[in-house]
Amino acid sequence: MLRLEGLRAAYGRIEALKGVSLEVRAGELVTLIGANGAGKTSTLKAISGTLRSSDGRILFEGNEIHRLTPREILTRGIAHCPEGRRVFPYMTVRENLEMGAYARADIHGIREDLERVFAHFPILGERLRQAAGTLSGGEQQMLAIGRALMARPRLLLLDEPSLGLAPTVIETTLRIIREVRQRGVTVLMVEQNAYLALRMADRGYVMETGQIALEGKAGDLIENEHVKRAYLGG
Amino acid sequence: METFLQHVVNGLILGGTYALLGIGLTLIFGIMNVVNFAHGEFYTLGAYGAFLFLSLLDTNFFVALLGAIALGILLGGACERLLLRPLLGESIETTMLVMIAVWIAMQNAELLAWGGVAQSIDHPFPQAPLILGPISVAPLRLFVFGTAVLLILGAHLLIHRTRLGKAMRATFQDRETAALMGVDIHGIHTLTFAFGSGLAAAAGTLLGPIFVVYPSMGDLAALKAFSVVILGGLGNFAGATLGGLLLGIAEELGAGYVSSGYRDAVGFAIIILVLLLRPSGLFARAERVG
Repeated sequence: MLRLEGLRAAYGRIEALKGVSLEVRAGELVTLIGANGAGKTSTLKAISGTLRSSDGRILFEGNEIHRLTPREILTRGIAHCPEGRRVFPYMTVRENLEMGAYARADIHGIREDLERVFAHFPILGERLRQAAGTLSGGEQQMLAIGRALMARPRLLLLDEPSLGLAPTVIETTLRIIREVRQRGVTVLMVEQNAYLALRMADRGYVMETGQIALEGKAGDLIENEHVKRAYLGG
Repeated sequence: METFLQHVVNGLILGGTYALLGIGLTLIFGIMNVVNFAHGEFYTLGAYGAFLFLSLLDTNFFVALLGAIALGILLGGACERLLLRPLLGESIETTMLVMIAVWIAMQNAELLAWGGVAQSIDHPFPQAPLILGPISVAPLRLFVFGTAVLLILGAHLLIHRTRLGKAMRATFQDRETAALMGVDIHGIHTLTFAFGSGLAAAAGTLLGPIFVVYPSMGDLAALKAFSVVILGGLGNFAGATLGGLLLGIAEELGAGYVSSGYRDAVGFAIIILVLLLRPSGLFARAERVG
């Protein structure tokens, strides 16, 4: 479904991605783990078009997308739920969800998806008119995921969904991610909490200093000595 | 008491146009992070635009006003497209310098085109004031105030009730995430600058017939606009509206009770006080850009 081939990208003179290659197949949940600054977020940004790549290719369903605008990439079916939730703080919950569907024109479908988001996250339905900035961290994470789903993506990019959340809220978030998968949405998830990520993913990639250091089935990576030592605190 | 009421009414009329100026400037700053030093020149452009349509093309007064506003919108859009878009992502100081250059260039172009002599704009309203109880208002001033209020309401509805307005607010609150939602940031910037410039031109075209029109009239207007934005808080739409009205009233009261020579000084004294006591603006807790 998605393939990155030798992708390079830089912020000014600082190279963040030094030839990243990875693949996500339809229906999979793939996780990208690694330390801070390894290039995980940059990889997602390059896919969604908010970070320009300087070399290499990104293929989505066989077509090159690395020269498209964020909007074009979004309308092809890739939604990016950014790190730190990034809800629009002064907009209401409803307006935030409507922004998720900004690139769509099918009013009926948008209404349907809005209902579906409320069914998934009843708390959002109760807080429709509240400013998003006044929600708790967990509620904001639900709103951010709900907002990304409003684009009706086939591939969802999730950046650090567990960051800064209380353990019980993390459990809820993980349950929601599993539900999203069951609806047929493919997921590429970046996580610092490697154990959490590998426990629920099908496959994983380990990133180190802008490159893929290791890849494999999630179950194998959990048992891998290097992964254990570097990322699982064992 | 009657003179007090009269001053307040005069202040509101003046303040309505200050609010237009301030809203334009605050939107441009809030959404684009550009300090528009050329804002006053779009005000001048509005006044000269009306003069151009009336005396050279001989159009109807109201057509001239609309034409002048359209001129401001078009030139504002072109200015963003040609000068600011290539600088997207540059520091705020860079765009500031560019806008100072635009200010100087536009003012000298006006001097070249019209000469330094002040011009007046004819209007079709009767001179005799309307007497409303204890106060009297010239019909032209009533029209100016009514139009300013309509434009402010229109701007408010645009920002709060339309899809475009939602995209503008989203861009203001988080540019990168707005882009992720599929918002065309370039397009939003062009429209914002065109819209803000249109509001400045509207203020100029409304005050033009009340005062006289001359090439450097925009300098004071720009200072007023910055004052309004500081009063209301940077990027704060409601703050700019209230700040504009407050500044107008304060100036009229100052001119009426202290001395008419101190009219502008009163306004700036308030700004100094606000900067000392409440530097993030009088209405800092209100939502910004809408």
